[in-house]
Amino acid sequence: MLISLLQAIASGVVTGCAYALVALSLVMIYKSTDVINFGGGEMVMIGGYLAMFALLAIGLPYAGAFVFAAVVAFMVGAAFDRVVLDRMLGRALPGQSVLVAMVIATVGLSYVLKGLVRVVPYTEEVRRLAPLFAGDPVFLGPIILQRQDIAIVVIAVLLMRAWWAFFNFTLLGKALRATSQNPRAAALIGIPVRAMRMTIWGIAAIFAAMAGILLGPKLLMTPDMGSVVILAFAAAIVGGFHNLPGCILGGVVLGVVQNLVGLYISSRAIVLTPFVVIMLVLVLRPQGLFGGAVVTKKV
Amino acid sequence: MYGSPSYARLAPLLALVVIGIVLPPLVPQYFLSLGNTLMMYAILAVGLDLLLGWAGQFAFAHIAFYGVGVYGTVLLQSKLGIPFIPGVLIAAALAGLIAFLIAVAAIRLHSVYLALATFAFAESAQWVFNSWEGLTGGADGLRIAPPSVLGWTTGTDARAFPVIAIILALVIGATMYLTRSRLGRSLCAVRDSEHAAAVSGIDVFRTRIWAFVISGTYAGVAGGTFALFQSFVNPEAFGFSQIVLVLSMVVVGGLGTLPGPLIGAVLLGLLPEIMRTAMRGLFVWQELVYGLILILSMMFMPRGIWGLIAARGGRSK
Amino acid sequence: MLATLIRTLLLGAGAALALGALPVRAADPGVTDTEIVIGLHAPLSGPLAAFGIDPLNAAKMWYEEVNKKGGIHGRKIRLIVEDDKCNPNEAVLVVKRLATVHNVFMINGGSCTPAVIATQEFISREKIPFAMLNAAGDNGVFPPIRYMFGAFGGTQRADGAVLVEFAFNALKARRMAFIVHDDEYGNAKWATSKAVAERLGAEAVAVERISPRVTDVTTPMLNIRAARPDVIISAAYPQPAVLIAQKYGEFKMTAIPMVQAVQGIPVPDIFQKNVGNDAVFSNFYYGSPLNDMFNGPRQQKWVQMYKQYYPDRTPGAWMAFGLPPAMAVTRALEKAGRNLTREAFVEAMETLDFESEVFAGKIQFAKGRRDGMRSAIVIRFDGKKHTVMPGAYAWNGRDGM
Repeated sequence: MLISLLQAIASGVVTGCAYALVALSLVMIYKSTDVINFGGGEMVMIGGYLAMFALLAIGLPYAGAFVFAAVVAFMVGAAFDRVVLDRMLGRALPGQSVLVAMVIATVGLSYVLKGLVRVVPYTEEVRRLAPLFAGDPVFLGPIILQRQDIAIVVIAVLLMRAWWAFFNFTLLGKALRATSQNPRAAALIGIPVRAMRMTIWGIAAIFAAMAGILLGPKLLMTPDMGSVVILAFAAAIVGGFHNLPGCILGGVVLGVVQNLVGLYISSRAIVLTPFVVIMLVLVLRPQGLFGGAVVTKKV
Repeated sequence: MYGSPSYARLAPLLALVVIGIVLPPLVPQYFLSLGNTLMMYAILAVGLDLLLGWAGQFAFAHIAFYGVGVYGTVLLQSKLGIPFIPGVLIAAALAGLIAFLIAVAAIRLHSVYLALATFAFAESAQWVFNSWEGLTGGADGLRIAPPSVLGWTTGTDARAFPVIAIILALVIGATMYLTRSRLGRSLCAVRDSEHAAAVSGIDVFRTRIWAFVISGTYAGVAGGTFALFQSFVNPEAFGFSQIVLVLSMVVVGGLGTLPGPLIGAVLLGLLPEIMRTAMRGLFVWQELVYGLILILSMMFMPRGIWGLIAARGGRSK
Repeated sequence: MLATLIRTLLLGAGAALALGALPVRAADPGVTDTEIVIGLHAPLSGPLAAFGIDPLNAAKMWYEEVNKKGGIHGRKIRLIVEDDKCNPNEAVLVVKRLATVHNVFMINGGSCTPAVIATQEFISREKIPFAMLNAAGDNGVFPPIRYMFGAFGGTQRADGAVLVEFAFNALKARRMAFIVHDDEYGNAKWATSKAVAERLGAEAVAVERISPRVTDVTTPMLNIRAARPDVIISAAYPQPAVLIAQKYGEFKMTAIPMVQAVQGIPVPDIFQKNVGNDAVFSNFYYGSPLNDMFNGPRQQKWVQMYKQYYPDRTPGAWMAFGLPPAMAVTRALEKAGRNLTREAFVEAMETLDFESEVFAGKIQFAKGRRDGMRSAIVIRFDGKKHTVMPGAYAWNGRDGM
């Protein structure tokens, strides 16, 4: 029984880190542009497929596939901001309707990406992306972990560190942060706000694509794998939508709670868990379990 | 603009009822079924717009209230023998009550947080519809016996069509009245600025709660109309794609206007039918085209189709 | 403003009226001296398109073959194809469109059970003969209704019964663990699995109902491991099925035989690659309603024919499932004679009893029986070789009803 519990917790931590990887991209976009990206899951999905095409069809090595997916993802994200969102921001829209319109546009993006992937080969059957870290599973006492799983945890933590360093210690990072905190003031001191926003979308898309490459071997690839975004939303909410490190903790809490529900309540309720978690956290502690006070943005 | 709607403005509603009565014998059932579907979507979209466009509350739970309306009407009829009219009223009231509870629970939440909390509620409701097998039939679905409306059994599309047309006319009429009332003005004030509204003496919380309740009730009524012309329901009808569909109807049509959601419901409701006809042999591209249409309409008509029409005509909404 | 809108709507209604009011009803729609019009529908776009495109193509191919040989009683078959996306509401519209706008004689369609059930009331009321395509159709054929024929590849009930029967007889399993989805597909599979296990006196030591959307199956597999079963029967879709098989390997449960329903392992070679652990296949079986592996020697005839008709497409695992429904339709049209009516056609369908050379068992209908086939085979897959297990397995039509 104890062994089952330990194994369930370990798997939950791993799966939670996977959710957190996706959540990173969402939070990044939300923090800097106020948009909830419902296309975030599909960005994960194309990341995985781009790597798969690069490996199978072009025959690139893994590193090449990684770069290929990152470059294409960056272009997709940046282009979506420049072509679609930028144009919408240009129009003065009353109240929240610009937010709603942008959400619909990201939903449109999710259909476009899914639709594009659906018509290319390799996507009718479920496929597994070749794992980056293959090999026999690792035993930690009675607990079994796949090498890829350990890699997911390590990479999630490293990315978070790198992200933090980038935004705190580099000029570009500071400019991006300024843009996201107060676009008007940023513009006044000469930061090219539009270019910054585009860059953030591009980087967020790269994060999503990397999540896709890491998750492709774990969750398997289908054109509909983007639905994982729901779990990422839950992770982000638990962590506090403004709080990046909170994301990872949020993901881990969610992954573990899901498995505890599966173990002690019912397998059927596993998929309900993220929704209940979202509602409970928002109603009882809207700033997230690990967030500070709720930040209301003044534009 | 404010005050009760004039009789001239009510004339189109009368026309809708007349069409509802005259049309059924003249056209094939497919068109009537499509018409019923569009009218149902129209009720859903108008209801969502009250919350989203008029009161400015970015909520995603609409489809759950619609589900309560469908299951409520059907189950009240099949399990307790309650006829359609009281049945749909009780079901809609139940949907309104649940909306009330959601509104109270989510009273502190705004924008993205409200959106995600209500989205989570909608997904949980779908899980309940799927798992409460004793009541809803679970994933196997529930067969719907033709309801009787004041002795008029609606089993077929032709017989349901006039009834749904009348319900839609009532709903539009009620909306015209509502949006011109004091509450309607309060909704707009809360949308434009909660602070300013509070300063001018509007009870913001109460207004927000009313917006949820009314919108939820509309969705419940829409659910009742589903039972009039469909013979089967399963939880798939209350999923994420439906949430997005109704939301798109409102936004593509035009937020915060009455013609907007009506136009949106008709156009987006027809879109799958049009695509199926126009894209013969290219069926697999439908998803892509649908996504492009959403993106392009937001790029070029962020205020929706009606917003564009109103701007061109120089008319106010 | 509203007046403009209503005026537009009125105009639209007028146009629709002009379009729709044209056809004049003959004795039975869709039949002329020279042709029979049949409506076909399946998911041709969206997530479930892979489940519909090939079977629909296969049915089309069969009808074209029949036309090439001169048609039926001097009439050629003309097809009208629609996309239902497996969505019940869209399926209802599609079927109404086929029946009341295109005035088809009968409908041959549907790859998903809920989409088919949603149309049932209309089919019954309008008395339109309906033969399902590759939908298992459980609740569409139980209880049977006169105009709706289906389950050509067997119901999920039949398939579930076969897997348990096999586990009991061939694997001598007495303590069974089940992992089954919580949708209508899972409900139907579980209904007979449970009943057959009870009749045979086997014990269900673990029953894990999981959502098709599940992303981590650790805990269901831990629960199963804790129950110490002597067989694991999995009725999961492809993605969860792979996750289950992976955990089964990871947790060193491979001494326990695993039986997977066909829906989760459409193409075994891809499944094996996805699992990525050959130890999983030391004790691995899968069921199939076909008479062979989907690309095995007995299926080659159909695979080759398909390649001729559709040279650009490699047929997926579900392709052949579209053939027997079309075969049944053309046979019944043949039987119903030159004097074709919908009622005569339904009566002819009712008397069908034939070997499709596609499925494991015969296609049989009768008065009060609308599910076409009840047999399945079980194949052992060791990671390299597929071996059809001896013995014929069929559901008795009573368990789990």
